[in-house]
Amino acid sequence: MWWRSASFILDQRHLQEDPSNDIASSSSKQPPDTLSSFMAAADPFNPIPNPKISAYYQTRAAHTAVVTSDWLAQAQAAVGHHPDDAQAPQTQQPLLAASSSGKSFCVINEFNNWRMQPDLAEAVAAIRALAAVIRASEATTMMELEIELKKASDSLKSWDTTSISLTAGCDLFMRYVTRTSALEYEDFNSARSRLIERAEKFGEISCKARRIIAMLSQDFIFDGCTILVHGFSRVVLEVLKTAAQNKKLFRVFCTEGRPDRTGLRLSNELAKLDVPVKLLIDSAVAYTMDEVDMVFVGADGVVESGGIINMMGTYQIALVAHSMNKPVYVAAESYKFARLYPLDQKDMAPALRPIDFGVPIPSKVEVERSARDYTPPQYLTLLFTDLGVLTPSVVSDELIQLYL
Amino acid sequence: MVDVQGLVNELVSKLRRRKVEGSSATARLTAELLRSVISQSKLPTTNQPAALIDAVRDVGEKLIAANPIELAVGNIVRRVLHIIREEDHSNARDAVEGFRLSVGGDNDYIVEQDHLNLSAAAQSSLCRPSLHALLERSPDSETTYFTATSEDDSEEKSKSLDQNAKSLKFRRKVISAVNDLIEDINTCHLMIAELAVKHIHHNKVILTFGRSRTVKEFLCAAKEKKRSFGVFVAEGAPKYQGHLLAKELAARGLQTTVITDSAVFAMISRVNMVIVGVHAVMANGGVIGPVGLNMVALAARKHAVPFVVVTGTHKLCPLYPNNPGVPLNEMRSPSEVLSFEQFSDCMDYRIGTGAPQLLVVNPAFDYVPPELVSLFITDIGGYCPSYMYRLIADYYSSDDVVIQQKPAS
Repeated sequence: MWWRSASFILDQRHLQEDPSNDIASSSSKQPPDTLSSFMAAADPFNPIPNPKISAYYQTRAAHTAVVTSDWLAQAQAAVGHHPDDAQAPQTQQPLLAASSSGKSFCVINEFNNWRMQPDLAEAVAAIRALAAVIRASEATTMMELEIELKKASDSLKSWDTTSISLTAGCDLFMRYVTRTSALEYEDFNSARSRLIERAEKFGEISCKARRIIAMLSQDFIFDGCTILVHGFSRVVLEVLKTAAQNKKLFRVFCTEGRPDRTGLRLSNELAKLDVPVKLLIDSAVAYTMDEVDMVFVGADGVVESGGIINMMGTYQIALVAHSMNKPVYVAAESYKFARLYPLDQKDMAPALRPIDFGVPIPSKVEVERSARDYTPPQYLTLLFTDLGVLTPSVVSDELIQLYL
Repeated sequence: MVDVQGLVNELVSKLRRRKVEGSSATARLTAELLRSVISQSKLPTTNQPAALIDAVRDVGEKLIAANPIELAVGNIVRRVLHIIREEDHSNARDAVEGFRLSVGGDNDYIVEQDHLNLSAAAQSSLCRPSLHALLERSPDSETTYFTATSEDDSEEKSKSLDQNAKSLKFRRKVISAVNDLIEDINTCHLMIAELAVKHIHHNKVILTFGRSRTVKEFLCAAKEKKRSFGVFVAEGAPKYQGHLLAKELAARGLQTTVITDSAVFAMISRVNMVIVGVHAVMANGGVIGPVGLNMVALAARKHAVPFVVVTGTHKLCPLYPNNPGVPLNEMRSPSEVLSFEQFSDCMDYRIGTGAPQLLVVNPAFDYVPPELVSLFITDIGGYCPSYMYRLIADYYSSDDVVIQQKPAS
């Protein structure tokens, strides 16, 4: 009985608490591909966005989606809101951190500056931002530094509760700091500079991670194979680019990826590489699954059970592939491993994003606006990470080694 | 002086002509050959481990290319490489320990810094990359090898004597580790058989497929511990080695029944457990076994009968089956299926010397996916398929997984 289930009741409560959904969603819609200064102006002045709209997916859409005329129209309309939005949220910032109110504002600011680069992963941006905190900090002992970092990391995490790689990146860095401070460094300054250096280098590690993943997956792409791809993942694009450069002959089926239509962007990129691409609407996956040899997806986060959290539609594709015995490969960097264990689809913090159907929808009609779903580990075959090729059961082992 | 090159060529030709078959035999021969290579190779005074690794790798490439389907060869090569790296790592660690005691006051801090870097680097070259070492890995560090005395600037004269002694010790340690490996290969049947009593209980019926020496020892060990049970032996066409196994088991006093491969589905409901031996175990937990094994596994799954695989650790391969470098199958002579006399009727003599109208295919192996396997019994204990990655991490280094093939001329 769906109207009595726990998740439905929770949803109702959400809806009742926040009746101003539609207005909020239209004002915080961000247009892609307009001047970056516009986007830079948009976010820092709205550091605590409407919790109903996931900032993470907004950015992804902004980076990777296609410009449409109604987006542009929204942009024109939204310009008028900005001076008003700027004032109100800013005053909330000092309340977050007791002593270093300026610092936490800097963290979010810094984070947003890094995040705007389309090629940079969220976790890398987070770690760079935390490195900036260390650099700007006036602490004289490791303990003090750790406390400041903890505050900064908490404020980053609370800024966008829906982004898993952000949380995972912050946790990873905090864990590294705690372990490094346990080593016998006689000189605080050298410890500090080492932390900063490591954090800066993390960006290169993440780029290298993508290359390692691309290298590992080359063996699994054979000549004449058909690959089904869902959504726009930079890692998967790297994999396919490397395969094309190695002169492998393969073709790609690309799902559209509504509502962002990120698949269109991916198909553009692949067409540039001279890889034969076929676009499918999301519903056509089962129809074409028998022609497919393997499914390649990226991941927003890899959870403890070995399952993944990825763009909406991944679970569906994994189910179809599993029922037809097609392998599902996930390409994810290791810093996306998160300490979450969702038991069902509704077990995560909801990440909603506005969906534009192109025609006005009567207000009585509800829209399922979640941006992501959870794919359990039994539907995944292998995970390609920079730690190597892993089966889903290895993920929890890695996480245990890190956290215990 | 034994001619190492000659030995290598001999083993390569044996492998290529399939004169040597079976995982244990090939594993043992490979290990013995690599032991000779290690003991005979001329090593430079510095950076020994790297030179050893290169030497072993060269030989390994040739051996793997000779018989790519025999995965045990590659496994042993990688095991030996891992042993060398491990010895090097423990040497480096000992050197750091020793050094800490001997270094004086002033240089303490700088030297310690180097040690931390040294041990971190040596550690990273040995252990597979892991999540908690993610930030410690610097992106541009190559995997370098440190000899025990590489960072020693102060003492010089005594260094050269130390070097020689250390180099001899290093080689000796590696050779003794390889000897342990050979010992393990030879005695894996015994270790596995010790676990038989835990798994085979009274009045059970076991099904086995074809003839595996490990399974034979397993069952006989249980019999010796006074367990009474019955065995169904599927004959394992086209070699029919199951017949041989059945006779051996009957001679030991076990109640044996021979069935054809096609009868497995019919008889599986009377069976409590399936125990089989395999050719190789892949990194995802899947197994490569004699042809027809997948059918047995599916039958067992359908009737919820546990499918147990007994295997020595030398059969554990760090590669994945979807990897095109891993040949899953080998076609054997069709005369095993259809003898040439019977076949001569099917040749079309109107075309030159005769063209076959009938094709006969005789694949040697079968791949069983990990979902169908319930348990692996190895010489180090019983594990589930999802645990294989752990054993691989223990026995192999991630750097060795790809052993480059020489480009064919």
